[in-house]
Amino acid sequence: MSSSDDQADVEKVLAGDVSAYEGIVRRWQGPLINLAYRFCHDRGRAEEMAQEAFLRAYRALGQWRKDAVFSTWLFALATNLYRSELRRIPSSTVPLDDVAEPRDPRAADGGLEASDRDRAVRRAVLALPAKYREALILFYFHDLDVPAAAESLGLPEGTVKARLFRGRELLRRKLPEVLAVPRLKEA
Amino acid sequence: MSHDEIDRILSREEEILPSSGFAASVMDAIHREAAVPPPIPFPWRRAWPLLAAAGAALVLVVVVLVVGITQLGREGAGSLSAGEWMTTHLPFVNAAVISAAGWVILALALTFASVALSLRLASGRA
Repeated sequence: MSSSDDQADVEKVLAGDVSAYEGIVRRWQGPLINLAYRFCHDRGRAEEMAQEAFLRAYRALGQWRKDAVFSTWLFALATNLYRSELRRIPSSTVPLDDVAEPRDPRAADGGLEASDRDRAVRRAVLALPAKYREALILFYFHDLDVPAAAESLGLPEGTVKARLFRGRELLRRKLPEVLAVPRLKEA
Repeated sequence: MSHDEIDRILSREEEILPSSGFAASVMDAIHREAAVPPPIPFPWRRAWPLLAAAGAALVLVVVVLVVGITQLGREGAGSLSAGEWMTTHLPFVNAAVISAAGWVILALALTFASVALSLRLASGRA
């Protein structure tokens, strides 16, 4: 994905060629939908939120300052929208204290499969308080890149690092049953 | 379990593909948005004299009240009530004006409280 393609398309749109926006949509639909999906774990809602993010980006296109990379601006705008959407209508999550309860009866006498355990950890992330949940989602979405997560959240890097540490500590403390099971199935 | 293992699990989040009609659906919405005429800008040029006059009136009322309260304090609490002092010293103030001012203050307080409450409810902090 080339940032010069984005810039060229933005200039065309601002000059009145609305169809040029399709290039931006096609380049960034995957990342924006996947980011939304990490916030809500609901495919339909993720597409709705991503569509709204593209609409807002279209309306605000003139405010993009070209000293920042277009994708950075787009992710920050989308993140802001997803955060407020999820605070307005939270995704259906279970309380953090209940996440560790194994749903799979095998857990009582053996252990969870790795995929079940991974799912439980992801559910636990969604049950975290918003500030830790958002930091974790952005950090892993940006491939463990703290500066990118901080830019998307509009927060200082130090704050994001502190929230990441605290969020992972909360996960670690709340998930002992799930995380401590022997990984027999992986052997 | 270490933070590294949490990192490893959360880094392997499943990727989803956009549905086939997603881009077309977004572009439909964009074309609809583009077809809507731009909103009429607020007429600041016409409004600012009225806003300035309203601001000046507000400042005047505040000054009169502050001066009045200060003088009332100097004259002593027992000699005149606030209403009596104002009707004595401010010729345009009579009982009806004081009563109306009370209602206006009450209405403003109720408005402020209801706006604050609705904002609080809308932002989900209640």
